[in-house]
Amino acid sequence: MKAELSSASAPRAVPRTRRWAAVVLALPPAYAGLLVLVLLAAAMRPQLLSAMLLPLIARQAAPLGLATIGQSLVMRGRSIDLSSGGVIVAVSYLLTSGYFQISEATAMAACLVLGLVVGVVNGVLIVKARASAMIVTLATSMILTGCVVALSQQRAPGDAPEFLRELARLRVAGLPIPVLVWLAVLVPAALLLRGTVFGRFLDAVGANPQAAALSGIPHLRVLFLGHVASALISVLCAFILVGSVGTGTITLGQDLALNSLAAAILGGVNFGSGKGGMAGPAVAAFMLTFLFNFLTSLGLGEPGRLMLQGAIIAAAAFAYRQNRK
Amino acid sequence: MKAFRSGSSRYTLGLPLLLFALLAVAAPSFLATQNLVNVSGQIAALLIVSLGQLVVALVAGIDLSVGSVMSLAGCLVATQADPLWGFVLAMLMGVCVGLVNGVGVAVAGIHPLVMTLSTMTFLQGLAYLLLPIPGGAVPAALGQLANGSLWGVPQPMLWCAACALLVYVLLHRTRLGLHIFAVGANARSAHLNGVRAVAVTVAAYVICSLLAVVAGIYLAARVSSGDPAMGAAFGLESITAVALGGIQLTGGIGSILGAVTGALSLGLITNGINLLGISPFLRGAITGVLLLAAVCSQRRKVVGL
Repeated sequence: MKAELSSASAPRAVPRTRRWAAVVLALPPAYAGLLVLVLLAAAMRPQLLSAMLLPLIARQAAPLGLATIGQSLVMRGRSIDLSSGGVIVAVSYLLTSGYFQISEATAMAACLVLGLVVGVVNGVLIVKARASAMIVTLATSMILTGCVVALSQQRAPGDAPEFLRELARLRVAGLPIPVLVWLAVLVPAALLLRGTVFGRFLDAVGANPQAAALSGIPHLRVLFLGHVASALISVLCAFILVGSVGTGTITLGQDLALNSLAAAILGGVNFGSGKGGMAGPAVAAFMLTFLFNFLTSLGLGEPGRLMLQGAIIAAAAFAYRQNRK
Repeated sequence: MKAFRSGSSRYTLGLPLLLFALLAVAAPSFLATQNLVNVSGQIAALLIVSLGQLVVALVAGIDLSVGSVMSLAGCLVATQADPLWGFVLAMLMGVCVGLVNGVGVAVAGIHPLVMTLSTMTFLQGLAYLLLPIPGGAVPAALGQLANGSLWGVPQPMLWCAACALLVYVLLHRTRLGLHIFAVGANARSAHLNGVRAVAVTVAAYVICSLLAVVAGIYLAARVSSGDPAMGAAFGLESITAVALGGIQLTGGIGSILGAVTGALSLGLITNGINLLGISPFLRGAITGVLLLAAVCSQRRKVVGL
């Protein structure tokens, strides 16, 4: 898709090498960033690239990758979803507190219903009440987190369901199940965007909401569905997080909302530009997780890790914007 | 009424009044002088940051880094022996952060969320580097400025009044203020009319960071020590406050009154929860519900962000 975009925008007479250079330059910063990181890791910490650690890093990247899919769906429609933190905390509490005396299957179903409700509330408020998406999703996240924190004063979260813990540990053909879940959402989402009317609608709404509305596209419904999908993906994310952590905590996945935003933008998706596919954000999610691991392995400690992380995100965003001009 | 540009409505103005009346009736100790002094002390930092967030929101930006700027300013003041030098250092830091944010957003064209998210992370790391654990000592003179009272008025109120007055003069009595509204309402039109949109945006981010520095110094002076995680919650809190005050994050719509009422509402909620014996952990949930009610009462034309 990226190749199509850039070859369409470049004039025909340009030599082939120049055209390839243009394609490479137009790639989102996540690819170059990952390449640089892998080279650095190969020189400084080769064990990070071993066949044993790489799948573990991929497993760790799965929640962020999933959240990034949801985030980039709504971002394409010129909206934003910051509610994943709240959804994850609520799901983790539902699954681990034992407060509700229900079987694991029922609890997981209840979580999906919760995700559906949050998505519908977000969607209705954004589309019908025309409230700012940022404020609405922030508020729903605050409400969910606040309720869970208040509830957990009476009953602290306990162990994760056996089923989810087992799932997070298992591997199929060398790949951990969380990574497979990530791929299982990623591939349909990519196909959805490329090959279906819904994907075209989403891009059209994002590129120009007014034009989309005037040409009879159900622009409100498209955005609404995007938010519902994003909330449901957050629930999946929470399943994986709870399974891999093993116990419930009330700080689970708090940085996911903002990190998924960074990953989506580093992966080439921007608010309502209709650009970027699904591969870029996925690479960006892996890049960020790899970065966190790499910085930890360097033994820099918290201050250095945070500073480098901030600087690298800014540098990647900056480099990307520069070669766009 | 210029309701379109100020963003104020009867809901945003009525919320703090309603909360005030409710608390005065429900909690007898609310109107005690000591409690009102406490409330003003609790609100001051949030109000000052919210004024900064207002300026950035007016140019259609957003600044997540204010929390880290506050923490870092507090740490700087708490680790320097000379209060004046600490103050100068913190202010310089504020100018630098504002310039970086502003240039990143306006010149390089990076989305404000990503730009300020990265500075937020970077500065948080810097604060931990400077002061790994809460500690240090703020000079006594500065502590006096934050906790005492002058002519019977608690000092925090004076901090708030000074900052609000400063931002009022800036927004409504200077050319830059008019340009800030113009750029926020429509950057391209403003540019075509000769407004230097880039410079105005950078200035807005610098002002926001400087106000965050002031808030950080105030907070450090109030507890008379530095804490590298002190301001972490203020980034989203200040956005909540400006949203409660009817300020539109799409730019061009907002007022000082909005920022003040928003911060006041949040402060009254916290105080009321303490006084009424409600679980303090429910504060986030209650704030969220109020926030939803506030944004739903102001229907906009645009959908999305």
